[in-house]
Amino acid sequence: MIGSDKIFRMAGFYFSALSFLIILPIVLSYSLGYKIDYKAFKIYKTGIIYINSQPSGASVLVNGKLYKDPTPAQIEELKPGIYKIEVKREGFYAWEGELVVEPNMATRADKIVLFPVTREMKILGKLDVMDFMISDSNYLYYFTNSGLFRSATDGSGLKKISSYSAWPNKMNGKKFSPDGDKILYFNDNIVFVAYLTAEKNAAKEKYETRVEEVLKSPDSIIDAFWYYDSGYIIAVTDKDVKVIELRGGMIRNIASLYRFSSKPGSLYYDEKSDSLYFTDIKVDPGLESKRHLYRLDLRRTFFDSLRELLLNKETGVERSKK
Amino acid sequence: MLNARKNRFYKRLFEIIPGFLTWSTLITLITLAIVKPVLAAIFVITFDLYWVIRISYLTSLLLFAHRRLERAKGVDWLKKCAFVGDHDGLGYKNIYHAVLFPAYKEGLDILTASISALENSNYPKDKIIVVLSVEARAGDQVQGNALELKERYKDKFFKFIVTSHPDSIPGESRVKGANATWGAKVLRNFLDSEKIDYEHVVLSCFDADTCVEREYFSCLAYHYLTNPNRTHSSYQPIPVYNNNIWHARSIARILELGSSFMQMIETMRLEKFVTFSSHSMSFKTLVDVDYWPVDMISDDSVIYWRCFLYFNGDYSVIPMYVTVSMDVATGVTILETIAKQYRQKRRWAWGVENFPYLMLGFMENRNIPLTKKIRRAFHILESHYTWAVWAIIITFIAPLPIIFGGGLFARTAIGYNLPSVSAALFRVSLFTIFICIFVTMKLIPPRPKDVKPQKKLKMIAQWFISPLVAALLGSAPAVDAQTRLMLGKYMHFHITEKSRKKLK
Repeated sequence: MIGSDKIFRMAGFYFSALSFLIILPIVLSYSLGYKIDYKAFKIYKTGIIYINSQPSGASVLVNGKLYKDPTPAQIEELKPGIYKIEVKREGFYAWEGELVVEPNMATRADKIVLFPVTREMKILGKLDVMDFMISDSNYLYYFTNSGLFRSATDGSGLKKISSYSAWPNKMNGKKFSPDGDKILYFNDNIVFVAYLTAEKNAAKEKYETRVEEVLKSPDSIIDAFWYYDSGYIIAVTDKDVKVIELRGGMIRNIASLYRFSSKPGSLYYDEKSDSLYFTDIKVDPGLESKRHLYRLDLRRTFFDSLRELLLNKETGVERSKK
Repeated sequence: MLNARKNRFYKRLFEIIPGFLTWSTLITLITLAIVKPVLAAIFVITFDLYWVIRISYLTSLLLFAHRRLERAKGVDWLKKCAFVGDHDGLGYKNIYHAVLFPAYKEGLDILTASISALENSNYPKDKIIVVLSVEARAGDQVQGNALELKERYKDKFFKFIVTSHPDSIPGESRVKGANATWGAKVLRNFLDSEKIDYEHVVLSCFDADTCVEREYFSCLAYHYLTNPNRTHSSYQPIPVYNNNIWHARSIARILELGSSFMQMIETMRLEKFVTFSSHSMSFKTLVDVDYWPVDMISDDSVIYWRCFLYFNGDYSVIPMYVTVSMDVATGVTILETIAKQYRQKRRWAWGVENFPYLMLGFMENRNIPLTKKIRRAFHILESHYTWAVWAIIITFIAPLPIIFGGGLFARTAIGYNLPSVSAALFRVSLFTIFICIFVTMKLIPPRPKDVKPQKKLKMIAQWFISPLVAALLGSAPAVDAQTRLMLGKYMHFHITEKSRKKLK
């Protein structure tokens, strides 16, 4: 071996070994959150704060002192304790908070949203609006005394789509049908459906949205929702659960799926299991009355009900037992 | 002497150790990542740092080896041979070079190129003996090719011997070492008939696709002449894979260039240096040690260990800064290339079979100093162990503490720092890629006319996919080979098909 190369090789080997021995404790102590105080010859535990904001590039103040990096910022070698953190950016509301730094741990505050101070306010449509809805297809619907209007979500392309204006004073709920063609809304006793697809109005000889009362109930309506691909509505009153078949202009089938023993306490419709969950009091003679949780499998019950309807029998369902 | 039963026991024990170490490491690390992610993360960072420093060191050795290769380029070795005169009654004019090609199904194009390279060397051809030993099982076509070559070249060299290695000789496996041994014995008969002293013959055992450079035999003769311990040494050139490098797939190029680089680096670490692939040695030594083992796959390295044991540890490898060029194992498609490379690297990794061979040899040999035994055993074990675990640790185990550590680990400082520290260490190691690019551009032959100039850019850019290639083919073949050895499922010799087809 050439002498100088051998010397180089040996030097390289020992240099590498020495580098490893020197760098390793530094890298490991840094990674583990230890800080070496070379002056005092001491090692102490530290923690890390990681801050990020939306939008980023905001200034970070740690206990009132400006940190060198804007967000996203990684503040290292912090002694354990509580730190007052401020995140500021011009034109946005500042974020303030106290973060706890634990030894050898990293504290993350990386989901800070900074809200703008000046917000653009824009009047949409300039109409006397009683109520409004936004559809999945990004249209705004305005319920007004002069009719039903529609525009894009930024207010552009405003268009009157119906002259119908007899909206109830109070809408307890309103829902778009899954096919996006209809709106269902209801007050205490009436369920309405607005057909958004313009139809030819024979009397007025023009095309416009039609509104129908699909259910008028003496009982209080608690909830109503679309069912079976927009062709049916399930209405829950304080007395029973009804299914309403939508057939424009024809006699509608309305069936009572279940009759409550008492006014339902809680009620929840779960789309996944296609079931209605509710509480009801079952009165068993001689036994203490208790409020139970019931599940009404709508799909099964619904088709059972339909079959019974077709057989022209009186409808009724069994309570589904848990 | 160990009795047969004990011998079998120790052989199995030493066969199990490398695979056991590798699997223990991998399983322990995976378990640690699940049970104690903090400890696993500490290990990962330690290993990452060790690896960065190691490759930095090795890359610096590569630069020095390359400098030596560049220096040797301008040397007129034949002139130097003439200048040194006779040593112990041996001068370059009475040295014979015997070149042994154990061949199987390599085509006429491959063998013609290799033999033409011998013809183009500047060493007197009347001192070159070519032995082409083909496998009888390869078929009549291959035998016919060999005879055609003999007809073409018989007058170009001192002697051109074609022999056919019979299949199914008792005690032999279907390995290259068996064919090489057969060829060497045929050569011995010829030398005996010509009354040529074995010490005057330097045998080069070459893969069928090995093309020597012009100065190869002169350089070899010079080293052989001037080495006072000439029969206790093997002579190792730098293997490069230039024959078809411009036409090979990037993945294959990176891996083969990586192999060349490793060999160049090894020339700087003589205490670990072991013969690899095509190399040369005294024919006398080969006869003394009774040729190659006829039942082991890794003939190129095991012959070194055989000599090492035979000469009680007094055996070394002399690096020669001349190149021998071979074919890149490439395929027409990427998948074919990966499969070929995987099989080739697994065969190389099967060199781990040298460990039990060496350990059993050490147990029987009382003349080798214990420290030397420990050092050599450690080197061989460490190199195979590192080969099998490094890419898996860096690529697959490093992210496990984060994956399995959960929210609590992510909240710790080390859980938070692990990705950034690993990434920073990886970035530091990127400088080695630029050195690899530099050495590549110096090492590869000029671009052939049928290759577009843009390919040169590809030769540079290919190195940036090297981490991916390393992840894919870095450790897996070695784990495969060690596992097979550990389970006693011995590998059969699988010849890497060499072809110079153009890529689609």
